[in-house]
Amino acid sequence: MTTYIIRRLLLVPVILFGVTILIFGMLQFLDPVERVSMYIRDTPKSDAQIEALITKYGLDKPIYVQYWKWLVGDVDPITNVRSGGILFGDFGYSRTNSQPVADLIKNRFPNTLDLTLWAIGPVIFVGIWLGIQAAVRHNKPFDQMARIFSIIGTSLPTFVFGLLVLMLFYANLGWFPPGRVSDEFSKIISSAEFTNYTKLLSIDSLLNGRFDIFLDVMKHMVLPILTLSYISWATFLRVTRSSMLETLRMEYVTTARAKGLSERDVIHKHARPNAMLPVTTLAGFSIVGLLGGVVITETVFNYPGIGATAARSAAQLDVITVLGFTLFTGLILVVSNVIVDVLYAFIDPRVRLS
Amino acid sequence: MSNYLLDVQGLETTFKTPDGVLHAVNGVSFGLKEGETLGVVGESGCGKSVTMLSVLGLIPSPPGEIKAGKAMFFGHDLVKMTNAEIRQVRGAQIGMVFQDPMTSLNPVLTIGRQLEEPLMLHVGMNKKQASERAAELLEMVGIPNAKDRLSDYPHQFSGGMRQRVMIAMALSCSPQLLIADEPTTALDVTIQAQIMDLVKRLRNELGMAIIWISHDLGVVAGLAQRVIVMYGGLIIEEASVNDLYANPTHPYTIGLLGSLPRVDAKERTKLYSIEGSPPVLYNKPTACPFAPRCKWAMERCWKENPALETVSPEHRVACWVDTKTGRAR
Ligand SMILES: Nc1ncnc2c1ncn2[C@@H]1O[C@H](COP(=O)(O)OP(=O)(O)OP(=O)(O)O)[C@@H](O)[C@H]1O
Ligand SMILES: [Mg+2]
Repeated sequence: MTTYIIRRLLLVPVILFGVTILIFGMLQFLDPVERVSMYIRDTPKSDAQIEALITKYGLDKPIYVQYWKWLVGDVDPITNVRSGGILFGDFGYSRTNSQPVADLIKNRFPNTLDLTLWAIGPVIFVGIWLGIQAAVRHNKPFDQMARIFSIIGTSLPTFVFGLLVLMLFYANLGWFPPGRVSDEFSKIISSAEFTNYTKLLSIDSLLNGRFDIFLDVMKHMVLPILTLSYISWATFLRVTRSSMLETLRMEYVTTARAKGLSERDVIHKHARPNAMLPVTTLAGFSIVGLLGGVVITETVFNYPGIGATAARSAAQLDVITVLGFTLFTGLILVVSNVIVDVLYAFIDPRVRLS
Repeated sequence: MSNYLLDVQGLETTFKTPDGVLHAVNGVSFGLKEGETLGVVGESGCGKSVTMLSVLGLIPSPPGEIKAGKAMFFGHDLVKMTNAEIRQVRGAQIGMVFQDPMTSLNPVLTIGRQLEEPLMLHVGMNKKQASERAAELLEMVGIPNAKDRLSDYPHQFSGGMRQRVMIAMALSCSPQLLIADEPTTALDVTIQAQIMDLVKRLRNELGMAIIWISHDLGVVAGLAQRVIVMYGGLIIEEASVNDLYANPTHPYTIGLLGSLPRVDAKERTKLYSIEGSPPVLYNKPTACPFAPRCKWAMERCWKENPALETVSPEHRVACWVDTKTGRAR
């Protein structure tokens, strides 16, 4: 088990190296003048100034030199101050947001994390639970309902579902507001009396003992959570259901019944752990889907997370910001896939012990 | 009252399929005395497994349904039992071993855990007692270093060893009856022989009755006292082992024995095999289901289904033809 985890972890830097190469490759589609904007804030006054900057940042050097420089930046020989270097967290400067990309991520990511964590809960537990129940009640009304539900879910794009939900609950019924938090609370949150423990508003509001803020935050998040999780719910339901149906036909399930175990134990102790294997693999893939959903959901609900920010920057041709977010998203994907792999090994002894 | 341990009468089981209702078992009756070993033979698809699964209430429903019949075990009808009642029988009084040891053990649970389960459920042992007993059981079926191997998973065992584990599991609560559904079919010949020896030894030590399903008459001959031959969801011949091999009477049995390679064959005889394949029945058979493949078939065989008739003591056959003379019985 430990060697398996170590092997997985050793792979992380290798994959990340590949990710940086890929992104750096994309950067090369820009000409040096565009790339210079990674490093500067103000628009240079003359062509000569730009040329000077290009030479200063080595944007006319061979690619591998530039790549290395992009990775580690460089140190000013006089002041000993390092500038640039994605390895040191410098993703460049966001023109459209007037702040370094790294700061932008730091500000916006907690909002996205807040949303996705709340969305993952229902996805995993409700989706899987529904899938198991549907499989156990194969071809009964419950199963039919679940199937209709999952067909609608997998065929309705996030943006359509999101807009429908927005129209119904926000515009027509006026039950839920868009955005992050009501104005009255947003002042309190930025004031000194409110401590940011985790930067996740829903959790911080509870930690601060402000249940009223928590309710307000959740009211703002309910629709995005619903939208973001709906497609994944449906997918998890479908995969869990079919995997469970297949498992229930396996001979070892009959063995378990032949031992005299109750149907409950047969389902939950013998069949379910096996049925979870394909679902775990799916979890790895669906993180990608979830991140795609984040962009759409946040944009539809005007929710200030990294997804909406990246979409807006892209619309304004702010390449540097988009690349910074891409790199960051790549990092999240790699890390979460390692977690999924470890999880898989944890439930499947054939992987763990081989 | 019968003096049988298990007394099955008129068992009928069907499956709803997209092509119609499949009649898998069409009125099977047999009895089994305490400590007796009964062989059940027949080609693939003739209803051997479904008969035994019906007895244990393990037919998936839907699509399966037991239409008629009873299976008396210690004065109670297994067919009529509620789920809760029959669970007290499964694993405790009747143990079952399946054909493919590669798929009949749960791949994500340890061998120990799977062995302990019935002990904790039926015998009321706690975890520690069950684990000690599980090690003894593994030792009993001839697995070395039993204690250390409890924490292993099925994929760390070979096929033969897994089948030993299955046997240990089926016998863990000292059942009066062991049902083995082609337990050696998936194993190679040397391992097959080892498993047979193991079962013979355990039968002597524990004295349980055995129902041994196989489509290999040779395997059954070495183990059983009595044999039933099934065809088309029916029993078509029943006799003691010696009688059956000496005087096979039903054309199907004769065919089966003919297709058995014999070591003592005088000359190189061509291996006989029955032409055609067993029927898939979408109606309850009204004629003899074997008639289409039978070289003795007469007019009557196509119109009426023969019932089991006693032809000599302890020897029953369902056939209109006297295969010794080739004329109607
Ligand atoms: N779950 C099921 N659904 C539909 N039909 C089934 C099911 N189980 C068995 N059958 C059918 O019932 C008939 C008898 O099958 P059974 O498994 O009892 O044969 P068998 O004698 O055990 O053969 P084998 O030697 O291959 O194990 C077959 O035609 C089979 O297709
Ligand atoms: Mg079978």
